[in-house]
Amino acid sequence: MATEPATETTLQGPAAWEQEAEREHVHGLGPWRLGFRRLRRNRVALFFGFLFILLILVCAAAPLWADNVAKTGPTDGHLSDTIQVDGETKNVVGLDGVPIGPQYMKADGKFFLGADGNGRDIMVRLLYGGRNSLFIGLTAALITVFLSIILGVVSGYFRGSTDAVIRTLLDILWSFPVIILATALGVALALGGLKIGPLTIAGDSLAIPILIIGLVYVPYMARPVRGQVMSLREKEFVEAARAQGAGPIRIMFSEVIPNLASTMLVFFTLLIANAVLLEAALSFLGAGVQPPNPSWGTMIEEGVDRIATAPHLAIVPGIMLVLTVLSLNVFGDGVRDALDPRAKVRLER
Amino acid sequence: MGRFIVRRVAQMLFVMFAVSILTFFIFNVIPNGDPAVRMAGKQPTESQIEAIREEWGFNDNIFVQYTTTMKKVFTGDLLSYTTQLPVDEEIIKGLPRTFALAVGAALLWMFVAICFGLYSAVKAGKFADRFLTIIALIGISMPVFWIGALMNYYLGFKLGWFPNGGYVEFSEDPVDWAYHLILPWTALAILFIGFYSRVLRSNVLDTINEDFVRTARAKGLGERQIMVRHVLRNSMIPIVTLWGLDFGAVIGGGAILTETVFDLQGVGQYAAEAVGQLDVPPVLATTMFAAFFIVLLNAIVDIVYAYLDPRIRLQ
Amino acid sequence: MAKLGRRALVLLVACLSMFVIAACGDDDDDGGGGGGGGGEATKGGSITISQTSQPDYMDPALTYTVNGIEPLWLVYTPLITYAHEEGQAGSKLIPGLAEALPEISEDGTEYKLKLRDGLKYSDGSAVKASDFEHSIKRVLNLESGGSAFYLGIEGAQDYLDAGKAEGDISGITTDDQTGDITIKLGAPDGSFTHVLGMWFAALVPSDTPFKNMTKDPPPGVGAYMVTESVPNRQFVLKRNPEYDKNPIDGVPAANIDTITTKIVKSAQRQAQDVISGQLDYMQDPPPADIKPEVKAKYSDRYAEYTTASTYYFFMNTRVPPFDDPKVREAVNWGVDKPGLARLFAGEVAPGCSFLPPGVPGFDEALDVDDCPWGNPNEPPDLEKARTLIKEAGVDGMDVTVYGNNDDPTNKVTEAYADMLTKMGFNAKPKILDGGVYFQTIGNQKTKAQTGFANWFQDFPHPKNFMFLIDGKSIQPTNNQNFGNVDDPEITKGIAELNQEPDLTKAEDQWKDLNNKLVERAWIVPYGHRKLSTFFSERMDFDNCRIFHPVYFNDYSSWCLKEQ
Repeated sequence: MATEPATETTLQGPAAWEQEAEREHVHGLGPWRLGFRRLRRNRVALFFGFLFILLILVCAAAPLWADNVAKTGPTDGHLSDTIQVDGETKNVVGLDGVPIGPQYMKADGKFFLGADGNGRDIMVRLLYGGRNSLFIGLTAALITVFLSIILGVVSGYFRGSTDAVIRTLLDILWSFPVIILATALGVALALGGLKIGPLTIAGDSLAIPILIIGLVYVPYMARPVRGQVMSLREKEFVEAARAQGAGPIRIMFSEVIPNLASTMLVFFTLLIANAVLLEAALSFLGAGVQPPNPSWGTMIEEGVDRIATAPHLAIVPGIMLVLTVLSLNVFGDGVRDALDPRAKVRLER
Repeated sequence: MGRFIVRRVAQMLFVMFAVSILTFFIFNVIPNGDPAVRMAGKQPTESQIEAIREEWGFNDNIFVQYTTTMKKVFTGDLLSYTTQLPVDEEIIKGLPRTFALAVGAALLWMFVAICFGLYSAVKAGKFADRFLTIIALIGISMPVFWIGALMNYYLGFKLGWFPNGGYVEFSEDPVDWAYHLILPWTALAILFIGFYSRVLRSNVLDTINEDFVRTARAKGLGERQIMVRHVLRNSMIPIVTLWGLDFGAVIGGGAILTETVFDLQGVGQYAAEAVGQLDVPPVLATTMFAAFFIVLLNAIVDIVYAYLDPRIRLQ
Repeated sequence: MAKLGRRALVLLVACLSMFVIAACGDDDDDGGGGGGGGGEATKGGSITISQTSQPDYMDPALTYTVNGIEPLWLVYTPLITYAHEEGQAGSKLIPGLAEALPEISEDGTEYKLKLRDGLKYSDGSAVKASDFEHSIKRVLNLESGGSAFYLGIEGAQDYLDAGKAEGDISGITTDDQTGDITIKLGAPDGSFTHVLGMWFAALVPSDTPFKNMTKDPPPGVGAYMVTESVPNRQFVLKRNPEYDKNPIDGVPAANIDTITTKIVKSAQRQAQDVISGQLDYMQDPPPADIKPEVKAKYSDRYAEYTTASTYYFFMNTRVPPFDDPKVREAVNWGVDKPGLARLFAGEVAPGCSFLPPGVPGFDEALDVDDCPWGNPNEPPDLEKARTLIKEAGVDGMDVTVYGNNDDPTNKVTEAYADMLTKMGFNAKPKILDGGVYFQTIGNQKTKAQTGFANWFQDFPHPKNFMFLIDGKSIQPTNNQNFGNVDDPEITKGIAELNQEPDLTKAEDQWKDLNNKLVERAWIVPYGHRKLSTFFSERMDFDNCRIFHPVYFNDYSSWCLKEQ
């Protein structure tokens, strides 16, 4: 690849920060402090940041809701059960298969958002599903960042044949149609699980979608990181460190990686958003979270089947997804703007 | 320049080769059931299963199997394990549908993104800009299959404004063809409109402050002329390159979800079904097909970019 | 500046309005009107119907799914066929291409038939007696799923082993001059006449190649002929003019001229299209989601029929915990049958009998009060199940519940796993793709503990169901006795009763075997499936509709409403 289309950040290290600090008349503050200040002024981004944290907390509190209010688990079916609503006894699932609608607090919080076709509590599944979806998104994003940094730094710093090999690997991964690859892996692994040497992962383990999603997005971040590392490599402070006799590993850890910190942060938020969406897509196709475990994607898939009689089954998890991804996108934008208003960080689809 | 193109094409072929190997191995190494048994249908005998194994070469070692399968891909002899029908025919049938979806959506999203992006840039900082930004961001945040399923049901069936999924051949009835594609185009475009309008907006804002625009203004050119002739054209370059990459990605994977939701029976849907059934030949063929497009468009983008960059051109 | 932005918006709106105008122009548009009056059923017209997936084969020798059998019954007729009637009357065997039902020898091993005179295929060529042998050869040579039924014929196994397409089956002798056909069996088989009535034995011309003819189905003798077959898109049945000239008594000619069958993957869409009239019939029942609306608003063109089918869970008796009979009893006590019925939106009538209604040996009382595990319409006895499982010491054991991803099988599998968990196991569902499901659980190596199973009758003879729990049918791969049920008394009973050609004599004994099977908790039957007929408004629902117990919806009975 001769040049990389608009994927690089234009962050330039300490020198640039100083210049900007001068411009803003806030001497003495490091780039992070500066960025934080700017972020604080961006009310909208803050709002969405808090929204995201709120979503995480609410979903993390799933067991609290399940045990104390709904008194049922995410996979417990109540096909033939009845509940008391305003003194009336109602079927959770009617004889014609139609599940009960949202009860809100009418049945003491049971079936707050109604039941699904198998008689399971939607609210409980939504919260546990959120836990799964968010957990997968966060962990997969972490994996992507981790692998991208390693590959990007090694490739950009050492150049030559190492770079060529890693770049080719990234090219191959990049060319692989994302959804087909992820679905294929998801389906194949869900069937038999994964056995690498002594390590066995069950077919329905969350580790499988996490690994797949984490792997799939590596080229999207590794390339820009590599580009950045290549330009950082030529900076004076790196030369200085080299002159002082520091080995490559030392330099990578003490000079290069810290300068990637802001890139990492911005990418991280965007990656979580994309990972959550990809997980939903995979689960929708049956290659992500396996039944009976809930995730927002599986709930949408189940809900679409029931869209005529119980549209909320599909609509509610979708809204949760939109809110989550939107919050991440807006907040991520805000972080990027705060750290460097001129940066052009983007995540290609 | 010529050398660059040759190198790029060679790289393309190498990547395609690697993709094919990866796909083939993923499916044959990971435990997934015995395709011979699957093909034998109901109540076969051991001898029947053995016969199928011989005929399809499942007893050969994996490298032989790979070469045989790859040969079949190019000679058009590749048969699906599940239906025993030729894979290439299915792909050829699905191709126009996937293309219709991708091209239509791409044009739609570009058109709308340009409108939105330009308008936002022009009204930067004002309410209209903020509002469009939020809309755009919401669009990026929606899972395409979700919004597609909802549109299909509510606009398609409930309100009856649009047909309820399915595909009509262009040759049969061009108007009906477009009518059936409006919802899928919209669903797929929503995803990208948001993103592209924001990129355009930021590019336009950047370009507006460039020197040559100030020069043009100083020369006395009208605002509109400046916008279109100078600003827009310059902002479009990165957009077009991104567009090329995304278009490749849509053919490669984004179309799958939309096709499945609207039952368009294009290559994407064929791939999704084949994957679900662990039917290796169609998956191999569709993966190669999709990868080919991604790689091709990547290469084109690279070449165009290199052409524009004098450093490469003059090598 | 402002002008430019506005301009763009105006363009946008203009484009959108163009689309809306184009959209308003189109409406549903099926072709063909009805024919003129005369007679009860209106003749003529064309309709469009749907199936959810491509028929496995469009070849009578190979097809083994409803998708293929339902249409091909009207295209290919065997020597013996069924009366074109509903319910019990439809289970009656009548002569098809043969003049009369077979003459069976005293020892039950020789079957004599005579081909009718003057029969012609849809391409005009004459039907010959030797075509029968050719058709059976195709079934065997092409390794059809139906081969097993014909291996009882003398020489059939040798023919198969020799592997030559043009070989000879010694047990079948035919005479083209007289039209005589004689079949010799290796041992008496009480169900063989039914086997002759299966679509596998339908006659096709002797020059039909020994290969899968899906893309170009051979000519046959029947009300319709296949004129177009594009796999995964559609196939077209057109009225067979040759048949109109000379229809067989009891096998009516067609009313509707053309039936186009489209493959539409989404059952929801199919139902919506039948409601709106874009489709005239859907093969699968409307999905549970739309069912209530259909039943409420369109009951004048929707009907349900109980089929001769049983839905059950198998329990692998060779693998813990189901090798313990107490555990199997416990599961029978604890399965929530009314709950499962809900998942089928009422399409499964809760039951307890393994043999379904319509098959001799069905025990109606067994389906209700006589069920040893409690009336299937009542909630289960979960306490008893839990106690038995605890006593057996398998409390908390891991159980993998197998199912496939067809709707609603996947939901049923999840529910069953949930029920097992409530009984004390640690049960998890494992959903496989429908295309590989039966082969996977039919492979001993899988060691599938328990899972979903069902069976629709191939013909109304108890043997067709009992082979599923016959110790002799156990195979290492492609096993249909998923639970590896091996009860010597039942196996012996089946073998004895199989030899009796007269079903009415053996009926009580079959009932007895059915009861023993259920009492001993070898399997967990939970009901019988109802299928449906759902028509568009154009179809004459009241006068032209037959739901056949073996072949489902009878296309030749359909007609359009008078215009």
